[in-house]
Amino acid sequence: MGTAAAESFLKQAREVQEDELSRFAARVAAQLQGPEPGPEAADCLQRLHLVLAASKSPRQLDAQLMELLQAVLCSPKCPEQIQLLCAAVLREMSPCDGLHLSCHRIHDTRLLSLVSSVLLAQGEEKAEVSAVGQRILKALEGRLPEGQSSRYLLPILSNVISLSPEALTEEQTNVVSKKMADWLRYASTQQGVAQPSGGFFSNPRARQPGPVTEVDGAIATDFFTVLSLGQHYTEDQWLNMQTFSMLRKWLLCYGGKEMNTPSSGDKSETDRSVMSVVPTSSASSRLLPPKERLREKAFEYCQRLIEQSNRQALKKADGDLQKACLTEAVTIMDIICKQDSSYVYRAASFLKILHGRISGDATYARALLPIAQFFLNHGEMAAVDSDAIYNHLFTDIPAQLFHNSSLAFEFILFCKDNSQLFAETSSIFRQSFPNLFKFLAWNSPPLIAEFVDILPFLLDAGTAIEIFHLLLDLPCLTAALDVQMRSSSLPSSERAACDPAVKPAACLEAFRSPLHRSAFQYLLRVESVSEDFQERLIPLRQLLGSLASSPRVTQCADTVPVLLELFFSVVAEFADASLINQLVVLVLQRSDQLYEIPAFKDDVHRVLSSQLVMLCKLRPALIVELSRELLEFSGTVSNIQNKEPIFTHVVWAIGEYMSVSYDKRCTVEQINRFFETLEAVLFEVTQVRPQASIPNYAPRAITVLMTALTKLAARSQDLIPRVSLFLSKMRTFVQSPAVTSVYCEEDREEILTRATELMNLLKMPSVAQFVFTPSVDVARTRFQKEVNDTLPSALRIVTRLLEPAPGFVPG
Amino acid sequence: MVLAFVLLAPGGPSPVGSGPCRVLYARSFGPPPQGRLLRKEQLLAVARQVASHCHLQQASSGRPPAPTLPEDPAPLQTAPGGLFQLPPGDPFPSRVTVTWLAATAVAFALVCEPHENLVLAEGTLRLLAGRLMAVLRPPGPTVLLRPDAADLLLDRLLPHGQLLFLSQRFLQALERDGGAPWP
Repeated sequence: MGTAAAESFLKQAREVQEDELSRFAARVAAQLQGPEPGPEAADCLQRLHLVLAASKSPRQLDAQLMELLQAVLCSPKCPEQIQLLCAAVLREMSPCDGLHLSCHRIHDTRLLSLVSSVLLAQGEEKAEVSAVGQRILKALEGRLPEGQSSRYLLPILSNVISLSPEALTEEQTNVVSKKMADWLRYASTQQGVAQPSGGFFSNPRARQPGPVTEVDGAIATDFFTVLSLGQHYTEDQWLNMQTFSMLRKWLLCYGGKEMNTPSSGDKSETDRSVMSVVPTSSASSRLLPPKERLREKAFEYCQRLIEQSNRQALKKADGDLQKACLTEAVTIMDIICKQDSSYVYRAASFLKILHGRISGDATYARALLPIAQFFLNHGEMAAVDSDAIYNHLFTDIPAQLFHNSSLAFEFILFCKDNSQLFAETSSIFRQSFPNLFKFLAWNSPPLIAEFVDILPFLLDAGTAIEIFHLLLDLPCLTAALDVQMRSSSLPSSERAACDPAVKPAACLEAFRSPLHRSAFQYLLRVESVSEDFQERLIPLRQLLGSLASSPRVTQCADTVPVLLELFFSVVAEFADASLINQLVVLVLQRSDQLYEIPAFKDDVHRVLSSQLVMLCKLRPALIVELSRELLEFSGTVSNIQNKEPIFTHVVWAIGEYMSVSYDKRCTVEQINRFFETLEAVLFEVTQVRPQASIPNYAPRAITVLMTALTKLAARSQDLIPRVSLFLSKMRTFVQSPAVTSVYCEEDREEILTRATELMNLLKMPSVAQFVFTPSVDVARTRFQKEVNDTLPSALRIVTRLLEPAPGFVPG
Repeated sequence: MVLAFVLLAPGGPSPVGSGPCRVLYARSFGPPPQGRLLRKEQLLAVARQVASHCHLQQASSGRPPAPTLPEDPAPLQTAPGGLFQLPPGDPFPSRVTVTWLAATAVAFALVCEPHENLVLAEGTLRLLAGRLMAVLRPPGPTVLLRPDAADLLLDRLLPHGQLLFLSQRFLQALERDGGAPWP
């Protein structure tokens, strides 16, 4: 529909050739040269703009047209639409060569705004930015010509200082600060009059406008703010609104002790260590330097806004504005306190009361974040006990409002900004990580990148195990949250269920039944717990199976492999022997206790298997220490079917690290025990029963078993005859009809070749021992997906040794 | 400050239209990068991210996209939307936060500096989207040929990238004084 039409326009515009464009440009020029450019000129300019905008590479316009565009833009008689289009085309061509535009001779403030937009788009020419800045300052300081409005000026100034804070001198910033203080505090509290030049409200008799009102309709009794309502607004009221809109940026830029410092984090203000409890009175404030005076007026403005946010707005849009104002006011107070600590005491008590007022209101939840940030920054100085604030924020909010994606996003950003808090083990921030994961479980796509940044801060020896389980159960958590939401009585359609098509009646019942209550409670806990209740989740995972295919759950599942890899890379840096061993055991255990989402299980197995090897490399001794668990795992044939990657990597690790060179405690008995276990498995797997069909065991598992057995035999040479015998039977295995129907030729070749190579190697036991019992050299093996990477080259050398090839020298 | 406003056609798996993601209109307020080409690439990168988030959210909400064009801004209150960050260097020199909103076959996005007032940014975006949908019908192809209409609205509601704390009355005064966009 519309998209196809848009696609077609864009295509046409892109395909306009250079000469066609020149001709069209000439036509545009002709239109613009006429006495009064009209709708046809507008039409031409619109098409020209499209051609320029749609092209990937810059287009050329001839100098004459460029001149014309600038001239027409600045000409006073030109219709507004044409001016806008000229500016749009010029911006599209930016950076322009030979731009003659200058803002110095323009007196019309609306046109000044338009021309500034072109000038500020030019590029790194700070001179241009500075020139615009100077022109705006001049307009702000002086008296504007008749009919001109100052409402266009401040946004331009705001843009200027964003691009180039040094465009203003200290003296100039003082002048502006002084004006801003006046605009904030002393704007008229009477409504403006209608423009006399016509319009709906025009009235020849000058009607006395009434006072401005609050958002709830009451007459305003204090100074004008953005939350003051009127039918018409006066110039100073416009300036009031715009000043507040750019106030935060201005204070950050120029409010600190040092000139033009964009960051407000400087601690240089704390040398004003005497805390003033007595507020500065307005009478004496006239004597304050401009910066300090602005601070004071800004503080008062913020206080007033916070009070005004207590009123019940008549219009929803105004209610939304109240919330935005609240956030802004608290943030500005925070900045002011950073710049002048004498405000801290006042602000702290005021904000504590505010917190009390809004903490129970879910619609104000987002405002709790800047309040908490304030107390994190200044609470200590104010000697205010802010624990209740943090507790409420981290315990209640995520549990209740995890589905509010904007809140979730801002909450996680808050955690990122304050990541040092998570370092304290006993703090509420650290303890509430289960709650934080709810945000991710429900809102995975926007939050995964942010979680990758905060996960390292949550991980330490105390939390690693719990977080490991949590990550594996993350999609399960998504499902549980869904059930929780469905079972709550809130009917809001915004809280859309995971998948409306699925009716998990069983889940809902389970949620309410006492039988599963504790399992749900554990999964949905708000705090870290030291006891391990993972077993409770086994039946719960099955129960939630009906939700496993819902899109939200699968989106969450997609984030888990990334987080798992990150988890292991962080843990590897601090984990001690005990933790490493615990994790290995858990990997084996959890590998079949996963939420039943097929792709999810495969991905998790893949990650866990490679991380398992990483842990073994980190601490080879664990093979000996965990021999019981490893024997059990590697001896279970069904593991080859259910978790082939993990099985394969475990067997590889056994073959690689079960050696006295990695752990002195490795005895011949242990080697033999492992040998027997693996041999039994390989026997089971390669048994060819004439009547029955063979299950399709992964060829990789077979080759890794053969190789591991060979390695073990090389270290306990009594076993060599057994292995050799086994390997010699592989030819029969591979050629049997049952096997040829199940495995492809390539796989059979691979198995046979490997068996042959291994047999050859065993014919030279001392070489085999050398190859398979290397010195412990960490750099030697980069373990990839193919477990037998390192072996083929060694085997090839040996095979060539055994072949009659005179003159071959090994090494 | 808002670094950019983007109006895009998300394309892709949406049932309404298919095809690649396209920027239909964009306005930059931030420091211009080296060369014009780079700015277009920046904006296209943002558009692609928005399209991706849009599709993902649509999938996870299980709701089909609204089949008809919303007549007035009110339905945009429940329109799909969200927030995400883009890391420094990709595609802007510093970290940015993007707030986005989806309507029929088009999406809108504001690229904000870090620590911007996101409550205000979301509200402003909803306002802009509503006004644009009302003025440009159908929004996709029309905005291509009427950048002036979009410029006029942006100059009013987001002048030079400055988010404004506009009450309903201020908004009415703005629009009354400014007049309606031309046909």
